[in-house]
Amino acid sequence: MENKKDFSSAETLLRVEHLCQYFKMGKGELKAVDDVNFDIKKGEVFGLVGESGCGKTTTGRSIIGLYNITSGKVYFKDKLICLGTSGYSARIKEERKKVAAEIKELKKELSADPSRREDVDKAIKEKEDALAEFTAKEKDELYKALAERQHAEREYVFSEMQKVEDKFAPLLEEARNSGDEKKYAELKKQYAHDLRVASKKRLSTQIQMIFQDPIASLDPRMTVREIISEGLVINGVKDKKYIEEKVYEVLETVGLVREHAGRYPHEFSGGQRQRIGIARAVIMQPEMIIADEPISALDVSIQAQVINLLNDLRDKFGLTILFIAHDLSVVKYFSDRIGVMYFGKMVELASSDELFAHPLHPYTKSLLSAIPLPDPHYEKKRVRMIYNPMAEHDYSEDKPSMREVSPKHFVYCNDKEFENYRKILSEQTSL
Amino acid sequence: MEKKIEVKNLIISFRTQGGKVQAVRNVSFDLLKGETLAIVGESGSGKSVTNRAIMGISAGNAIIEGGEIIYEGQDLLKISEDDFHKLRGDKIAMIFQDPMSSLNPIMRVGKQLTEAMLLKAKSGSRRARNEFNKKLKLLNENMDEACAGDAEKIKSNDEKCKTFDNFCISSTKLESAYNEIYRHAVELKVDIDDLIMLTEKGRKIDAGSKIKRFVKAIAGTYHPDIVVRSEELDSYISVLKSFNDKVIDAGALEALKGISVYIDKATQKRKPNYFTLGFYMMKNKDADVDDIPLDELTEMTRAYLDKEFMLDFIATGSKALENSREKSLRKKRELLVSLQECLAYFRGDTIDKKTAYALVSSAGKQLKNAIDRLEIYKNSTEYTFSSSIESALKKYFDGVKHNPKAQKVFDRQTAKYNALVEKGKTPDWKVVPAMLADLDLAKNNIIKIIENLIESINKNLTEEFDSQTAMVSLIDWFKERASMVVYKVTRKTAKAKALKLLEEVGIPEPTVRYNQYPFEFSGGMRQRIVIAIALAANPDVLICDEPTTALDVTIQSQILELINKLKKERNLSVIFITHDLGVVANMADKIAVMYAGKIVEYGTADDIFYDARHPYTWALLSSMPDLETSEKLDAIPGTPPNMIYPPKGDAFAERNKYALKIDYELEPPQFYVSDTHWAATWLLDPRAPKVERPKIISERIERMKKLWGEQDGE
Repeated sequence: MENKKDFSSAETLLRVEHLCQYFKMGKGELKAVDDVNFDIKKGEVFGLVGESGCGKTTTGRSIIGLYNITSGKVYFKDKLICLGTSGYSARIKEERKKVAAEIKELKKELSADPSRREDVDKAIKEKEDALAEFTAKEKDELYKALAERQHAEREYVFSEMQKVEDKFAPLLEEARNSGDEKKYAELKKQYAHDLRVASKKRLSTQIQMIFQDPIASLDPRMTVREIISEGLVINGVKDKKYIEEKVYEVLETVGLVREHAGRYPHEFSGGQRQRIGIARAVIMQPEMIIADEPISALDVSIQAQVINLLNDLRDKFGLTILFIAHDLSVVKYFSDRIGVMYFGKMVELASSDELFAHPLHPYTKSLLSAIPLPDPHYEKKRVRMIYNPMAEHDYSEDKPSMREVSPKHFVYCNDKEFENYRKILSEQTSL
Repeated sequence: MEKKIEVKNLIISFRTQGGKVQAVRNVSFDLLKGETLAIVGESGSGKSVTNRAIMGISAGNAIIEGGEIIYEGQDLLKISEDDFHKLRGDKIAMIFQDPMSSLNPIMRVGKQLTEAMLLKAKSGSRRARNEFNKKLKLLNENMDEACAGDAEKIKSNDEKCKTFDNFCISSTKLESAYNEIYRHAVELKVDIDDLIMLTEKGRKIDAGSKIKRFVKAIAGTYHPDIVVRSEELDSYISVLKSFNDKVIDAGALEALKGISVYIDKATQKRKPNYFTLGFYMMKNKDADVDDIPLDELTEMTRAYLDKEFMLDFIATGSKALENSREKSLRKKRELLVSLQECLAYFRGDTIDKKTAYALVSSAGKQLKNAIDRLEIYKNSTEYTFSSSIESALKKYFDGVKHNPKAQKVFDRQTAKYNALVEKGKTPDWKVVPAMLADLDLAKNNIIKIIENLIESINKNLTEEFDSQTAMVSLIDWFKERASMVVYKVTRKTAKAKALKLLEEVGIPEPTVRYNQYPFEFSGGMRQRIVIAIALAANPDVLICDEPTTALDVTIQSQILELINKLKKERNLSVIFITHDLGVVANMADKIAVMYAGKIVEYGTADDIFYDARHPYTWALLSSMPDLETSEKLDAIPGTPPNMIYPPKGDAFAERNKYALKIDYELEPPQFYVSDTHWAATWLLDPRAPKVERPKIISERIERMKKLWGEQDGE
């Protein structure tokens, strides 16, 4: 396949570690995303599939910081951008509970046999000390992580400012030496402006999002120009001419024309609205785009236009894309690697060709068997596999985790299943 | 096959601020019984508008400019709202795109399911009784006529009809009681089996209240034809009655098992023929049926019935049917003469309004008298003749009246415009083209309607007629009405029916779900509820308006499978609207591809998927990636045209890379590829250059053919 490249040697752009996102629901908790790990290489398209409600959109929104994550870490270019703090306190709480129960048990022993007072006292003290140590360690880690995140942000801003300084320092020097007062003043003004813009930059602006519903995600009372330039304005750009030019530029990039800038969203068709949404994301010159079901609300013929546009943009700007969708044919066409999610867990992760050729997890199989193909003869005989987690897995003793069954092919399974999958895979590949 | 719905030359426009949007332009199709028709097209192609017209829920600003939608011999575009109430939901049901917005968020699901059932039950039963009486009276009259002069026979005819009436109703009553109790017995067995299974698995459950309920429920299942009270059963029950513990002991378990087997045996029995039994009951009101064994009873009643009454009734009835038919044929022959007169008049040069209306209305009256009302199958041409010819006449005379005026306005404006141009000015306005009605076309329409009727009558005259089978099917019709009269829907039966429906559409734990609100359901489950509501009234026709667009792949295929299953079980006719061709490959028998308010290609599923001819169908097929696609997608450039100003010629020409010069000038006619398959594109004209379909489609078909082999191999 010509557009499927191997990105495994490329630099890691985004790394998600143990991402958890729980929502409070009444008394209990809804584990929308539960211990998800993956990384995205620079320039690749990572597809995230699963049925509605499995947490793929929540994952995307957590990465971009629309939710405060419960626990886990998200690194962007090796810099910590998201940090979940409640995981630490939860662990401390749990440990405390455990130790308290143990102490209670010990005290019971003591009342049964008062002669062992000394031993028991010693044991209790040991336990308490261990708990204090554990708490201190956890807290320490938490503070370290918090500091790291703060530092990452600061460092980024500083480096951006440094870049501006580096760029302007020789120019300013030259202008001062030349004695051209006017030019010098102008340059100084430009320098101040750029410095302010740089100081307002945040790491998260490097990741932009395209939303699912092109109607709901555009403010009906703003013109297209205002919508697209909003990001720039928030980031402190005040040069109207520059903004105008930028807006025209991205409008043309996404296949609209300059005249559209003055119109309102309702004057556009669905496909054009989605293009506006894409333009809004692209204008910030992000390195990564999170596309949350960008085509599910569109007509078939328009869907193809939008996919082609995203493909063009990817080639032009070298974008990295996290592509969230439930249409498997499109994900297969568009993505280099695919992660399959089921009820908040990542169950299988592999390159798209590998995943479709050798699906291992039963849920992936059932998903693949549900894809409708435009062929009546084939469709009439297609058998849909039904996934029932209760029947498929026995996780009562052997706990599952993400394991690498073959190079770059990860499946969520336990030891027994792992062996089984390896066997199946080796049989399939030897054929 | 029987045609369920015929759509003929439907034209619908919308009045908007910008002008008149021509949403549907001359669409015709037939929907056969038990068939799925898929309508595929982009949003704005008029597919939903067409189907909303069939449901009678067009938007307020819609103008129905022409055409007919014929269902069971009536034109749905012309019947009153009151008449539509009897069809909508009852006969034609619809599933909408967004399940959340088509359910009421503040009503429990159960109430939404039973609401319509309860509302419609009363009027339905009354209507069925009326229809029953009317037809029986007509039959009686015809019986009398058939044996004219014989006073004694006439008297016996009255007697016969009365007996038939009574016996039809009473037998259905017996049957309904039987069905009710049978259902109870089966449900009870399932419950008991559940309890036995759980106990054997060693679960500790509070069985006391359950067993009390069983004891009560068993008493409700006593029926001479199902569970007969016996010593064996009594002994089991006495064991259960004495049981007063929480955990089941061995004795109680034994008793439960015994009851389960007993009920199972009882429900395996052959269902009695209540049609005959009811008759026996009618004749011998004092006879104690409970004492006679069922087989004996059935034999007895059948022997008695077949010889004495039923054969007699069928014989007399057949005579009556023959009589009625002859009468109608005689009148139809007379009608043919006046129809020929009409035809000659309308073919002439001058048409006078008064004479035309007089001729048509007299023919209409004659036809009304000539129709054989005892026929069950309604001939749509005969039943819609009056309304369709009147509307055709109205169109013609409206044209005659308005055309000169419109022409005058146009001439005046043109003169003004030309004057301005002569002065050397360039006006900033344009002359609005005159809206002239095509009088020739209108006249032809009138002639065509009359010709159609003549053809249909001629066919009717030469048709063979078997009065015996006609009578039997008439009796079936009576039985159907009787069941509509007898089966009363109460709150309780409606709930039972709703629970059964919920189970049928695949919702687990229906008793719990019945009392929940829509927000407690997931998207797929909600769509199932909507389907259950649509099926509640047992419709013939189901219209699905993009039912899976809001759902994801696994749920989508579940819903599609469900619709397919229900279609087969209930012999439904389905209209399936979608913009995704992949979805309908498994569903559709026929596919209509719509673009800009017109059907551009029509054929069976195989025709469309393996032998598509229209460039728009090609574009739809090739614009979506499948699992093997790797090259750049073949997107359709641009957007659909603005239908306020529909483009001249082929509407798709603008976006069509195969467009010919003529596509911009003249609308393509329908070119038939085979009997079942046509496409409206100039590419099929013999003079057109040969164009191969896109490579992406041919390749896909080749690839899929290889896959078939793998499938068969498995």
